Order: sequence, then C-alpha cells, then structure tokens
Amino acid sequence: MAAIPLLFVVYSSLQLSSERWLGLWDTRLPDLLANTVWLGFVVAIGCLVLGVSSAWLIARRQFAGRTVAIWLMVLPLAIPTYVFAYIYTSLLADDGWLGLAWVAVFGDLIAMPDIYTGWGAAFILSLAGFSYVFLLARTSLMQSSPSMEEAARMQGASPFEAFWRVQLPLLRPALAAALAVVVLHVLSDFGAVSMLQYQTFTLSIYTQMEGRMDNQAAAGLSLVLVMMSLTFLVLERFFRNRQRYFSSSRARRFQARQATGRELVLIWACLGLIALFSFVLPLVWVLHWSWQAWRAELIGTEFWDYTRNSLLLGFMAASVTVIIALPVALYHARIRSWLSSCYLHLSSVGFVLPGPVVALGVITFVLTQMPLLYGGLVVLLMALVVRFLPLAVQSQEAALQQLTPSIEQAGRVLGAGPLENLWRVTLPMIRGGMVTAWVLVFIDVLKELPATLILRPIGYDTLPVRIWIESSEEMLELAAPAALMLILGTLPALWIMMRAERGR
Amino acid sequence: MKIFKKLGLSLLGVMLAIPVVQAADDELIVYSGRSDKFVKPVIKQFTQETGIKVVLHSAKSTALLNKLKVEGERTRADLYLSNDAGNLQLGSDMGLFQALPKAVTDVIELKLRAADNSWVGLSARARVLVANSGVDTSFVKSVFDLADPRLKDRIAVTHSGNGSFIAGVTVYMEAAGVEKTRSWLKGVKDNVGGRTFDKHSKVVKAVASGKRSVGLVNHYYIYRHLDKKPDAPIKVIVPDQGDGEMGVAWNVAGIAISKYSQRSAAAVKFVEYLVSEKGQQLFAEANREYPARQGVAASVEIPAVDSIRASSVEMAELGKQRNATIDLLEAVGMP
Repeated sequence: MAAIPLLFVVYSSLQLSSERWLGLWDTRLPDLLANTVWLGFVVAIGCLVLGVSSAWLIARRQFAGRTVAIWLMVLPLAIPTYVFAYIYTSLLADDGWLGLAWVAVFGDLIAMPDIYTGWGAAFILSLAGFSYVFLLARTSLMQSSPSMEEAARMQGASPFEAFWRVQLPLLRPALAAALAVVVLHVLSDFGAVSMLQYQTFTLSIYTQMEGRMDNQAAAGLSLVLVMMSLTFLVLERFFRNRQRYFSSSRARRFQARQATGRELVLIWACLGLIALFSFVLPLVWVLHWSWQAWRAELIGTEFWDYTRNSLLLGFMAASVTVIIALPVALYHARIRSWLSSCYLHLSSVGFVLPGPVVALGVITFVLTQMPLLYGGLVVLLMALVVRFLPLAVQSQEAALQQLTPSIEQAGRVLGAGPLENLWRVTLPMIRGGMVTAWVLVFIDVLKELPATLILRPIGYDTLPVRIWIESSEEMLELAAPAALMLILGTLPALWIMMRAERGR
Repeated sequence: MKIFKKLGLSLLGVMLAIPVVQAADDELIVYSGRSDKFVKPVIKQFTQETGIKVVLHSAKSTALLNKLKVEGERTRADLYLSNDAGNLQLGSDMGLFQALPKAVTDVIELKLRAADNSWVGLSARARVLVANSGVDTSFVKSVFDLADPRLKDRIAVTHSGNGSFIAGVTVYMEAAGVEKTRSWLKGVKDNVGGRTFDKHSKVVKAVASGKRSVGLVNHYYIYRHLDKKPDAPIKVIVPDQGDGEMGVAWNVAGIAISKYSQRSAAAVKFVEYLVSEKGQQLFAEANREYPARQGVAASVEIPAVDSIRASSVEMAELGKQRNATIDLLEAVGMP
C-alpha cells in the first residue's frame, strides 16, 4: 500500500520526455539540490545541539522544576511548522513584538535579522524539530548504564571526554533515529519554506502543481526527492548498523545528581532560552490573538466540530498506522536481509513525498481500484497512513532493537508459540516504543495539512485546514484559536507518552 | 497490555458516539478557492431565500481543479469557484464544466466570462499601485515605471509564484508584447531590493512603513490596510490610464458548474442568484471588489468603476497564456 504513491510518481515521471528532464535539470535541479541539502544539514546540526544539550542537562541533574523542563522541551511538537513560520514572520515584522524589541534595544545600528532566508527557515525548522532528538536522546541517556562512564572516568578521562568519547557514541543509534525523523520532516516540509520563500524540492514540486498544473514535472521532481531521501536513509542505516547495543534490564540506572545552585541557574538559563523561542513565545502570541477573537465573539460552536474532526482523524490514523507498522518493524529488526531492508525503505517513501503527490496518487488508485470507497474518510486515512508509516516503523524498530534477543529466545524455550511469544513477551516489552510511535503519528496527523486539504470528505474541516483558510487571508484572530486548540489537542497524547516512558 | 485496551476501548467509544460530519445529499457542494469569509454572506442569504443549503469545500484553487480533473465523473462537487479567471478557463479547456444557460450569463459582459458560457465572472479586481504619500512618486504613472532605475530597491512586489502576479503579467504580455514585458521584468527584478513578499498585505505594509516607495497589489488590499490603520501614509495610483495606454489589469473571481453535477438545476439557481443584483452586491462588497454586472454599485471607498479604464485583454487569456507567462518569469529568473 505504501508503494501506491510511488508507483504513481514513477508512472507520471515516465511520461516526462527526456527533453523536459533536461529542461528541469538546467533550470532548477542544481539549485534545488543545494538548497535542500543545505537546509537538511543545518537543521540537523541545530536539532542536535538543542536536543542533546537539553536532554543531557535534564537526564544528568536533579533540579527544581525538572518535570516542567521536560514538558517544555516536548511541547514544541504541538506546533506545526506553518504556524511557527507564521508566528515568527509576524513577530519579526516592523510592528511585531520582536521587531519592536529589536529596534528598542539596537535602534538602527544593527539591521534586524531577515527571516526570509535559508537561515530563517533553518531556525524555524530546528525549533520545530529538536524535540525529537531530545526525546530519544533522553530515553537513551536514562537507560544507559553508568558503569561505562564510570569506567572511563576511572581511566582518567575528564567529564567532557567521558561524554564525548563514551556517552555520545552510545547515543548514536538514538541520535541517528531522531535525526532521520528530523531530516525527513525537513525534506517534506512545506509550511515553513513556503512562507519564507526558500526554494526546496518540496516547494518547487508544489509550484509545479499549483502554478502550471504540471503533474508530470512535479512527479519527476518528487522522484529525485525520493532518491535523495532513500540515499540518506541507507547512509543512516549503514552508520547505525555497524554497532548494536543491547541493554539488559538488570543494569543499574543512572542516579541524576542534585544540581548545585550555580548549576541550577545555568541550567534554567539554557533551557529557558530554548523554551522561550520554541514554545513560550509562540504560545503567548497564540493566546493573545485567541483572546482578541474571544472578545470580538468570533469563536462559534464550529470550533468544537473542527477540534473533534481533528482528534478523531488523528486517533484513527495513528492506531491503524501503528498496527500496520508492527510487522514491518518486527520483520526488519529480527531478520536482516536484502528483502527486509527493501521493504523498510519502501515504507519510508510516503513520508518524503509531498502531500499533494501522495493525495493524487491515492485518489487515482482508489478511483480505479475501489471506487466505492471514494469520498469517505477511508481515502484520507489511507493517505495519512502512507505518509506516516515510517515514523511508526522507526520508533517501534528502535524499541525492538534494544530488546535483547535472548529474552524472546527464553520465551520460546519455555514453550510459548510464536504468537503467544509476541503477545506475552515482545509486545509488553516494547510497549513504550509502541506508545511513542502512536503519539508521534497522532501528533503529525493532527498537524498535517496538504493531504488533508485535498482528501478530506466534503464538509470535514480539521483545525489545520481552518488555520490555512483563515491565515491565507490574514485573519489572525481566527487562525490563532484553531492553533490553540491544536496545541491543547496534543497535550493528552504527549501526556500518555511521557507516562509510558516513566513507567519503563 | 492494559493501557492499550483501556485507551482503545475508551476512544472507540468516543468514535462511535460522534457521527462523522458530512454533506447531506440535498446540499450543493462548492469547491471554493476563495476565502470562506467572502463567500459566506451571499450563501447565507441564498439559503434563506431558497432553502437550498450550500457547503463550501475550500482549498487552493488549482489543487481543487486538479482534484476535479482526477475525480472525473465521480466528483461530488456541483460548482467550482475560483478567484482567478485563469483557473476557470483551464478547467473549461479540460472539459470539466457544463455550459450555463445563456439567460443567466447574459447580464455579465462578454469580456468577463467564457465565450462558450462554461464559466461566468462574478467580481473584478484591479491591479493597482500603492505608493507612500511621503515620497515623491509623481513620475510613476504606469506599471512599466516600476522598472525605472530611480526606483532601485524601492519597489515591493509579491513573489512570482503568486497567482495574481502571474495573471497581471499575462495581461501586460498580451497588451504590450512579450519583449517589452521581458525587459520590464528584468528591471523589476533589479528594483525589488533583494527580496519579494509572500503576501500582498505585506507589500502594502512595506509601503506604508516607508521601507518601500511603491508596491503592486490588488486594489482591495490597500483598503484592508486602511481599515486597520486609517492614517497610514499611502495612496492609490491607478496605472496606465493615459490615452493610448493599456489600462489597468483586471482579474475576475468566477464560478462554473461541474459537468458531472447531479443537482445542476439547484446549481443554476445558485449562479442565477450570484449574478442577480442583490447577489452581486453581497458577493463583491464582502471583499470590496467591483461587481461584474454593470449597474451594480461597488463599495464607495474604492475608485468608481467609470473613473478607471480597464485593459481590453479577455479574461479567458489568463488561462490560455498562463504557462507562457510562467515560462517567461522563469527565463527572467524572477524570484
């Protein structure tokens, strides 16, 4: 099923003549390639710095407000990139809060940073993505046994050296998985790059489809994009496969040290700064405009319908995706073969294909193969599952990899059949990973715009759709409440995930 | 596994409890590329008067056109509403629409609708210049003056992917020729000062704040800005009004009936209402555009329709020449 959009893309791009391919190559490809790779790289670095530092501080020190800090680091996940970009473009405008603050502090001496650049896009996407790195790095840091680090310290390594040479390599699988998620988000992002006018592959594909109605050129570009991300994924796998670490459940857990007073200030200064830009400021902005809307009595009952539609869709899509992803993850985590890798990578194609391309692929498939389904939620669900399958596969597989095979073998030795073993041993042990997968998909579905915009059943407006409709005509007062509902809607899901993590 | 079961059961309960909202069979479904806010007043009135319900399915004009095309005869859309005549003409060329009764479209002048009646224009907007009133821009009389070296780094335009921008360039290309337009675009590219804007409202803002001196926008964005800031130092220049000049570029928002509509009788009624005097007033007023039907008064704030001369380029050309325009924009490397 995941291959439907890919087949559509391959089929459509086959209809591109070689001349048009050459034309594309001459006019766009080199720039697009450079822009996209650059953006992916810078955002990956940004997310690493933000995510690992915050995860390390939180995992290694006990301090006042630690739980709050954890939440603050995860909450940016609730804000879609288009909302981020929208908020920051208006904050940094001349009459925006940040713009005014900048002029008050620097006057005319230093020009305000221009957000309509690659750096602006990288800034926004890093803020929107570092939470993935934080989550996985923190879990991994908490689970790693302290003995290795202690051994390094005993051998005379400084704390920094111990971190750099022991801890960081141990983190590698987690970081690789997190970065894969981040980079795939960057490659498929439309919200931020379109608002900031930074030409990436995805944006260019949209332009082809929107401006020229040229689906073939769009498909051609999509194919290049898919190739690019597959290359990236294969590289990532290559680096990750060289090492495999198994944690055994009996190892001691790390005891986080109580932070000293000075450390406390430093920690909060660092985390506070990250949280300010990645969540607090956007939240205050959204609350401000929602309040304006409330006072102007612009919020009607239909907002509850939009919220309900969004949550319903998120719930269904996440559940279906996690169930479908499980066999793929199991297969690949247990049997390494050419075929299982192939299957795995194939499932990740949907994530990088732009939403409209996935949508058109699914429409075409459903209309020709099972037309009776058309028009209902099923079509939209299919597209969402195709898009977010890789997220679920990634995190379930990461959990499976940390599960020592001997535990499963023990189950089999004790007489459990494969199914019983799966149900009573494997699934309970990877519960955390499954919950994480569910939540990640849920959140992404909740934020998803392009495919939903095209495939939603008639009259089935979700929150992102409303945000898009209202913000395209600059109706801040109407877009902000929808964004607020979106943030509130993700809270229970995040709470479930954090609880499952603590339970481990 | 308890957590799964609990979660699953509780949410399953929620799912079953709430019915999925979907359009009922007796409602007209409109694929709309125009902001809801501007369409809802007229729909409300129409439903009140006729009892026919109308559901808006909003998305980007072109995405909806793509959808209509892929769906073919299985589409549930009865009507297609777009802000851009180019999209309507493209849909017509792809054979997605059915002809409207002549009696319905006759009230709209031929220039603002398809020759074969496959779509009809509802409201028109002018591509005008907005200038900062504190700066001397007396030499700016034409859109082509935007390429004047005196305006280096002082003009504001949207990026070249913007539908209104493309439509405008198509008009200039048709009225003044490809070569003149090409060299004009090059001049504009030199004058934008390194960046274009992603929204028209930001173009107006940049001019009002003095960062730029002149901007190219659809007329209603200027009045929208003045709503919020009545004292903003901006003025409207209606370009190319001199004798022998091409006149200001128009674009229309319009509507068409899907070829496969199951409720075309009701759909025709809706279009009939939209071109009626009352419907025209409601539709155009919501966004301060010019009613397509002659004799219906536009908003008093905007320049009176008989005081400005519009270019003679037919709206259908906006669709036919769109790809040629994009080719030109790309060849110039317009940002």
